Amino acid sequence: MDETIIIGMSGGVDSAVAAAELIDKGYTVEGIFMKNWDESDSEFCTATEDHRDALQVCDILRIPLRTIDLSDEYWKKVFELFLDECRSGRTPNPDILCNKEIKFCAFLNHALELGAVSIATGHYAHIDKTNGLFQLYRGADPGKDQSYFLCTLNQDQLSKSIFPIGNWKKAKVRKKAYELGFNNHDKKDSTGICFIGERNYQQFLKRFLPIQSGQIITDEGKIIGEHDGLMYYTYGQRQGLGIGGGYGKKNAPWYVTDKDIDQNTLIVGQGHDHPELYHRFLTTSQAHWISGSEPIKEVLTAKIRYRTKDAICRLIEKNKNSLIVEFNEPQFAITPGQSIVFYDKEICLGGAVIETRTHSIN
Amino acid sequence: MLYFDHSATTPLRSEVKELMKSINENNYGNPSSIYSLGQKARIIIETSRKQVADAIGASSDQILFTSSGTESNNQVLWALIFSIKKHVITSSIEHPAVIKVLKNLVTIGISHTLLPVNNSGIVDMSMLVPALKKDTGLISIMQANNEVGSIQPIKETVKIAREYNIPVHTDAVQCLGKIPINTSYLGVDFLSLSAHKFYGPKGVGVLFVKDKKKIRSLMIGGGQESGLRAGTENVAGIAGLGLAAKLATDNLSSHTKHLKQLETIFREKLIKISPDVVFHVKQQNCLPGLVSVAFPGRRSDILMARLDRCGLAVSSGSACSVGNVKPSVVLNAMNVDDSLNRATLRISFGVGNTRDDIELLVSGLKKVLKS
Repeated sequence: MDETIIIGMSGGVDSAVAAAELIDKGYTVEGIFMKNWDESDSEFCTATEDHRDALQVCDILRIPLRTIDLSDEYWKKVFELFLDECRSGRTPNPDILCNKEIKFCAFLNHALELGAVSIATGHYAHIDKTNGLFQLYRGADPGKDQSYFLCTLNQDQLSKSIFPIGNWKKAKVRKKAYELGFNNHDKKDSTGICFIGERNYQQFLKRFLPIQSGQIITDEGKIIGEHDGLMYYTYGQRQGLGIGGGYGKKNAPWYVTDKDIDQNTLIVGQGHDHPELYHRFLTTSQAHWISGSEPIKEVLTAKIRYRTKDAICRLIEKNKNSLIVEFNEPQFAITPGQSIVFYDKEICLGGAVIETRTHSIN
Repeated sequence: MLYFDHSATTPLRSEVKELMKSINENNYGNPSSIYSLGQKARIIIETSRKQVADAIGASSDQILFTSSGTESNNQVLWALIFSIKKHVITSSIEHPAVIKVLKNLVTIGISHTLLPVNNSGIVDMSMLVPALKKDTGLISIMQANNEVGSIQPIKETVKIAREYNIPVHTDAVQCLGKIPINTSYLGVDFLSLSAHKFYGPKGVGVLFVKDKKKIRSLMIGGGQESGLRAGTENVAGIAGLGLAAKLATDNLSSHTKHLKQLETIFREKLIKISPDVVFHVKQQNCLPGLVSVAFPGRRSDILMARLDRCGLAVSSGSACSVGNVKPSVVLNAMNVDDSLNRATLRISFGVGNTRDDIELLVSGLKKVLKS
């Protein structure tokens, strides 16, 4: 009981194998299933199936599975902020917020109250303590690394967290799950925002944010269509604009290059190489450093969204929360509301929320 | 594992288990079939019907078998669709199997009024007459509450309802085997029971109907249960229910005495190890063996999980809301403040519990409260 570790069981294969791994290492393990969304909302929420899968895993592992209802906290601390950001035309990342406010805050506190020494999750990232400092490393599977989503964690949270499969390859996780007889061994990876899952993002948002039609205009000022509301679109978006690629001079597809909030217009440009899609500078708010202090190194790499490669950058201004970042190469579709996450090689240093982007800086 | 959550469900009695096993093995006939194998199954059902009728002071033709207490409640409430009078009076501490149904029925024009309860969890009868409307077509008040055990004035309710010619339904799911249930004494029109609350099987319930002309079928299909509940009968389950009902009432006074004793010992010992505990309902107004108690400054979900680790099963609030840290609606209606509400455990003893079990429960609680 003294060395109990409480693991967040999502019903997915990663947390399932993570639990098995902890048991193999000799820990006393208990599972908790977090209910973050009202499960009667069956159109969008898969909590009932997920709980069933988690239960089957815990039955095989012979560990208890309890449920905690954090849907109120999730609604107040994640979803309302998510909607606010959407309303102002930004593209938030609720999964980062969920880690910050729910998994590594509300859930962590609950587990500690239950008498656990640490929590564990099935994240693909790795924690190491060097010189008295907890460092967050990228997961070993480059296709699965989730350090991006963990960029807001602090020293206290890292000191109480374990990622048992952080350095595993996904294929190994699935193989292990299959060997152990877990029903979820071939369950599809959850992608995108947890509460939307595989569903249509626009359709989901329309339930909460009513349609606000406006014009779609080209960067040359020509009206070429109508949109349902700026919040349903994101920078660099190509599909779902309702304008065919055949239109215009180059016969190339159209991309969202900008949003004019005041005029409620969506601005589009033609071709993936359109200059308005690329910027070398960005500014941020809410900068957070995992070590507790800003990096000494000036040249770092950064990701401006989850599914993108690192790009070389410099922090040219560091004012506590707000940073100015300069990239060596212009970056495609830098998106306000998304997080920029900084790395020093394999170490995740922290992140910040993108506010604006520019071509040059005065 | 020591079990102290008999209000959630109870283990099968061994006699019931044996009977069901033998029926499942030998009497697989369909009760509607007219050859002898079917006839045997029919007799099993009718035997059970008589046992249930005897247990609650009814006649056999007033007993319908359903799948659960929930279904029984639903059948009474959904029948209001066909009624001219579309207003229901109920209490603010009903089980979701009543209150959620009524909330659903609002969308199709059936309204309801919730009667308040006092701080002992008993419906305020002075509010009943003022709540009556011209189109009040039903009063549905539970016989005893599932979370705190408070026993409701059903006879008094019926007395008032009679004056206005309004039928009365009571959800008595928590009561059989704990307090006397007599439908002719109470005078109710409808009463719901569930076998798994009195050491019978899960998946079988009873709806007592005083006058079958006053109810509609919820399940439409074959003509089972006088056309009032279609679907091939759960023969073994129904047999188990009948025997369990008989055993529960035959031994009522000794069971009640046993449960009261355990409860008294528990209350006394609990106060010794934790003098600041708050009992929500006094023993005399309550189902025997059910203790709803708050541990100030604690959180029920944490206490529950820690007790679970010690091999002790208790409940916070009602069993249907497991994992839910939201405050109990029932305690809220009783004006229990939010922090005490969230600090409440429900401990419900059963006929199988012993004095030794109480010792272990108290020492488990002592350990958990220390950490």
